[in-house]
Amino acid sequence: MSKQVLILLFVLGSMAASGQTAEQAEFFEKNVRPVLAEKCQMCHNAKAKTSGLDMSTGAAFFAGGASGSLINVETPEQSLLLMALSYEGTLKMPPMGKLKDDEIARIREWVKMGAPWPGVDRKAGAAAVSDSGTRKHGSAFSGEEWNFWAFQPVKKTAVPAVKNADWVRSPVDAFILQKLEEKGLRPAAKADKHVLLRRVTYDLHGLPPTEREISDFVADPSPDAFRKVVDRLLASPRYGEKWGRHWLDVARFADSTGNDEDHRYPYAFKYRDYVVDAFNSDLPYNQFVKEQIAGDLLPPEKGEGINRRGVIATGFLALGAKAIAQQDKQKMLYDVWDEQVDVTSKAFLGVTLACARCHDHKFDPLTQKDYYGMIGMFASTKSFKDSETHVSKLLFTPLVSKAEYEVHEKALALVANKGVDIDIVVDREKNLAQAKMIELLPAYMMAARKKLETAEGLDPLIIKRWIQHFNESEVPRAWLDDFHKADDAGALAVAAKFQESSRANLAEWSKKTARYRVVARKQIDEKNMLVEEPKHINEKDGFFRDVFSDSGPFGVKQRMIETAELKALRAEQKTLKDAVPPEPEMACAVTDDKPVVQKVLVRGDYTSLGEEAPKTFPLVIAGKDRLVVREGGGRRELAEWLASGSNPLTPRVMVNRIWLGHFGEGIVRTPDNFGRMGERPTHPELLDYLAAEFVEKGWSVKEVHRTLINSSTYQMASAPGPEHVKLDGENKLFSRFPRRRLLVEEMRDGMLAISGKLDLKMGGSLQSGFGTDGENSNDRLSISPEEQVRRTVYMPLRRANLPALFNLFDFGDATTPNGKRIVTNVAPQALFLMNSKFVSDQADVIAKSVLAEENQKVERLYLRVLNRAATAAEVDSALSYAASFRQRFPKMQEAEAWQSMTRILLASNEFIYVD
Amino acid sequence: MDPNQKRLSRRGALRAAGCGLGTLGLAQLLQASENPLAPKASHYAARAKRVIFLFMHGGPSSIDTFDPKERLIRDHGKPLPIKRPLAFADEAPGPLMKSPWAFKNGGQSGIPVSDLFPYTREMVDELCVIRSLVGEGVDHGAALLQTFTGSSTFVRPSIGAWTVYGLGTENQNLPGYITIKPTLSHGGAKNFGSAFLPGAFQGTPIGHSGMKVDEIKAEPIQYLVNKGLTAEQQRFELDMIQNINRKHQEVRAVDSNLEARIQAFELAFRMQTQAPEIFAVDKESDATKKMYGLDDPKTADFGWQCLLARRLCEKGVRFVQCTHSYKWDQHGDLFAKHTENAREVDKPIAGLLKDLKARGLLKDTLVVWAGEFGRTPISQGGNGRDHNPYGYTVWMAGGGVKPGFIYGATDDIGYHATEDRMHIHDWHATILHLMGMQHDKLTYKYSGRDFRLTDVAGVIHKKILV
Repeated sequence: MSKQVLILLFVLGSMAASGQTAEQAEFFEKNVRPVLAEKCQMCHNAKAKTSGLDMSTGAAFFAGGASGSLINVETPEQSLLLMALSYEGTLKMPPMGKLKDDEIARIREWVKMGAPWPGVDRKAGAAAVSDSGTRKHGSAFSGEEWNFWAFQPVKKTAVPAVKNADWVRSPVDAFILQKLEEKGLRPAAKADKHVLLRRVTYDLHGLPPTEREISDFVADPSPDAFRKVVDRLLASPRYGEKWGRHWLDVARFADSTGNDEDHRYPYAFKYRDYVVDAFNSDLPYNQFVKEQIAGDLLPPEKGEGINRRGVIATGFLALGAKAIAQQDKQKMLYDVWDEQVDVTSKAFLGVTLACARCHDHKFDPLTQKDYYGMIGMFASTKSFKDSETHVSKLLFTPLVSKAEYEVHEKALALVANKGVDIDIVVDREKNLAQAKMIELLPAYMMAARKKLETAEGLDPLIIKRWIQHFNESEVPRAWLDDFHKADDAGALAVAAKFQESSRANLAEWSKKTARYRVVARKQIDEKNMLVEEPKHINEKDGFFRDVFSDSGPFGVKQRMIETAELKALRAEQKTLKDAVPPEPEMACAVTDDKPVVQKVLVRGDYTSLGEEAPKTFPLVIAGKDRLVVREGGGRRELAEWLASGSNPLTPRVMVNRIWLGHFGEGIVRTPDNFGRMGERPTHPELLDYLAAEFVEKGWSVKEVHRTLINSSTYQMASAPGPEHVKLDGENKLFSRFPRRRLLVEEMRDGMLAISGKLDLKMGGSLQSGFGTDGENSNDRLSISPEEQVRRTVYMPLRRANLPALFNLFDFGDATTPNGKRIVTNVAPQALFLMNSKFVSDQADVIAKSVLAEENQKVERLYLRVLNRAATAAEVDSALSYAASFRQRFPKMQEAEAWQSMTRILLASNEFIYVD
Repeated sequence: MDPNQKRLSRRGALRAAGCGLGTLGLAQLLQASENPLAPKASHYAARAKRVIFLFMHGGPSSIDTFDPKERLIRDHGKPLPIKRPLAFADEAPGPLMKSPWAFKNGGQSGIPVSDLFPYTREMVDELCVIRSLVGEGVDHGAALLQTFTGSSTFVRPSIGAWTVYGLGTENQNLPGYITIKPTLSHGGAKNFGSAFLPGAFQGTPIGHSGMKVDEIKAEPIQYLVNKGLTAEQQRFELDMIQNINRKHQEVRAVDSNLEARIQAFELAFRMQTQAPEIFAVDKESDATKKMYGLDDPKTADFGWQCLLARRLCEKGVRFVQCTHSYKWDQHGDLFAKHTENAREVDKPIAGLLKDLKARGLLKDTLVVWAGEFGRTPISQGGNGRDHNPYGYTVWMAGGGVKPGFIYGATDDIGYHATEDRMHIHDWHATILHLMGMQHDKLTYKYSGRDFRLTDVAGVIHKKILV
């Protein structure tokens, strides 16, 4: 660390301003220091250090505060100090009032001089100055940064020679064994056949092996018995359901927006099904990458028209968490694009590019300009149908041709337009009714003033509403004061004035609604979208607003109007509605928008625009001759670059994910962060070997599985010897197979598989409907997987309220990319196994089927739950448990005793852990 | 990396170091290291050992409760004299609207409280009323997330999760962080989740806001009740599980995970045996129940929450939250609805404060009362108020805050905080400080950087500390 700081100091120091002149010193003392002393240092001094900033000494001044450095050496105009003083951005200083213009002008001049501070050696403060300033690309990166391992091209080294060559079954073994031999360690012994089959079946399918599969494998003495099992498992659709789920963790997949309103993504399941299918069909990974970023822009595999699969694949970008009720819509959009940068950079590149939103990346050579270079691509992409509405509208994309979709849209437009016809008639009728009432307005007001129940020619109901109107004491209606205070004659005069103004207002209102109906038609025809109706609450005249709105005394509610004309129109609308063809197939996907020219946002604040950030890829990865996208949105170019194979991170990150899925830990143990703050690879040559092979063999994920699983490394036992514990405590050398706990999906699916209740139907959605639900409605909860029998991967996820079972068993939050789940062992998990209806139900079914067996009840039970033969002692122990259970609790039936015994096995460590 | 996080990842090292120890000693050692909820030392002496957070979901109006504004009476009906900041309502601003409630000074301190909270007013000498809280979210989702996680935009660990991550909990037979009837909306479970912290630190929900207390009573914590077996039968079954687990473990070399899971079952059994007793709110004396308003259907729900919160705190639960959801969002009908809402919570809250005080618990229990924001001084739709995160009131009591104290101020119409502005980050920093934790040292490394509740901000407001 200290070494890196030194290098930074050196680089930045060399850029710092040169020596100071006497004139500069005088300028500072006369024009700058007094202002700082008077206006800034009362908060920003050594003691108070408000926002971490001390401006009392030069050194402290240049060190900056919580928001970063005050001075930007390279682009002085963008200095935080000047931004804050000029009141241009969100940070406005001093808070009690802007400095005088001439004071600011002089400070600006001083900053442009290079901010000379007498007696302060700027070299010392320089590190802080550009730490959060815009680090100029290329030249500013140190050699060490350029040479950082993760950014180097993939280098395929020869498979190393080892002593114990017999152990080597796959190139993987040679790399692993080499390190073990260096340490003088022997790999753990080979795992027993039962263990191996259970391990590989859970690893590839997330399910236990069946009794038949066990007996077949155990009975097969051929040397390639295991290889055959692997081939069988990889060919089954159960494989995609397991490994698709791994990818869905990385893609932070869920079926709703989360954050605030938690609107459903009604077609999210199609992306999930696409992922499952991509793994099952071994879609080349580079194609998989490309489709998820820009599938909508790629030609379809066959024929012309919509690239259906490609459009669905962009769900990767579309399905993130979104705060759609955020009212600062510009901020909301930047948050969405930021989220897209985050998931893209972590999932494919294993870098945390989103850390460079407000300043250059603190640890990695990723600049703010790199970040905004990618933001520009997503800002040129549409993620909303309309982001500007109060609650922003999500984008749903048709999966049919434009022409076909238009037929549907036009039918809907006819219905909506008929609605406008109806509205126009309603407007007219309302207007007539209210115009009539206006003629009686003074009479009503006077009657209500006198609290009369009836009066000649007046509707008693409306009088009552006027009385109520006058009584609403908590509502501020200052305009009524004169009316209430005056004597009767005076009040009548006031009422007459209101009558006059109401006539004018009503005429104006009538024009307004008519204008709105025209706009509404236009919106329907052009955007197929309804716009907000004008509301009385927007009226400036409080009297008119309160009296003529629906809830006011002269309010006329739509349902109170009924004419023959309206009836006929409504009937026509119904006919049109019935004729609307079914909705064409849709997806939650992104599409191209108008390309934008993206600028760097200084400190991530969209009101502080910095220099232009051309659409491009991070310099340190893509190199100095990186492509700069001059035309179009750049998403397709991004996709091509990510998948190009010349980019070393894409294959490295993916083979590491696959490794992690089998060995519990990655070769890089931080799968989503290959940067400086991530871990270094334990076996860099192996990682590169696998990455190179991956690309060479056509990006086949299944081939990687084969290479890893058919190794001796994968087939080791999980029990370490004392020497393993001593020399490889954390198993960083992979000296043994790591025991692992079942994932929540494996636990649930495993139990259902054993009980025979598991429904293997694939795909589709268990969730229906659009939008969201009442704030405290049960419908806000995810469907409980405990009441379902489909595989867990198909359970719809309401992001804000994930199933309790998922929260309990470390599923993660489905909001940020998660390449490695945390595992915790806590008591509430045990309560689930001991007490839940779900576990009891499965135990009951399993027990009953075992009881139906003629003999070998315990053996069958062990085989099905733990996937191994029971020992004689275990058989005895289980039999005597069942017997003593009934003896001790005479009311319990035999089935209950066996249900208990089954639950014991389902709750046991041996079931929950895979050796 | 925070020492707590190191502790979590020390498993491997312990496994290596533990080879020579006897089984029993090793087991205990491992248990201590594996149990993420074991009590941990604070950074420095704590003033508050536990927190009860009373959440008023929807956003109670500060200017109608604890922050009276003379000018609104004077200028009632006049247009807003300042430029309206970003609003939630998408309609034109209404005029200034005075509070329909009168304020009276309460207690020795004379802190003004409106007639919405007559019972709380009697306890006002215990309150530290902060009139200058500032948040960033103008919509509920953003505001709730920030109130509970510090971030209005991203999903982050909640304050309760950070607390138990930092301090663990005193009673292993109960969860360390419990949230009673939490809301399902506006971020839902994310508001009490652990995000990237291990799942062990997330809040354990007791029902949810859509449920009635009677529905919750049957099984307050999910999976707590076995519907088929008696306790004796279950112990019999559990003995067999453990017997099998021990044998399984014997033939495998030391694996702290296996041991941790064995312990988790014992803990679960104790939890299920002891928890029902703690949840038996009905066993309280009639006088106590009355004090919390359990005898009145209007106050019974929140009264039950408050009384349960006290019982949980007494038993060493670190962080308890009660939620009154989702009621306080009066864009219209302010008078009737705020009256009804306050009526439902006022007596229970006062009862809780009184009870904690009488039991000597208030001195080291921090009670927090807050909505996700306040409401605007201008009217909306004639008889409501819009959201206002720019300056609103929360109060805290007990646990090391100055009693009978008013802190901070808003401008003369109550729209913006002007004096001693306390950003939500500052508020969180101050709460953690009271719990004995230094907010910038309570960190967790994730995605290559150290995260904390207060992001890169947070100033402890020392003026409110005793």
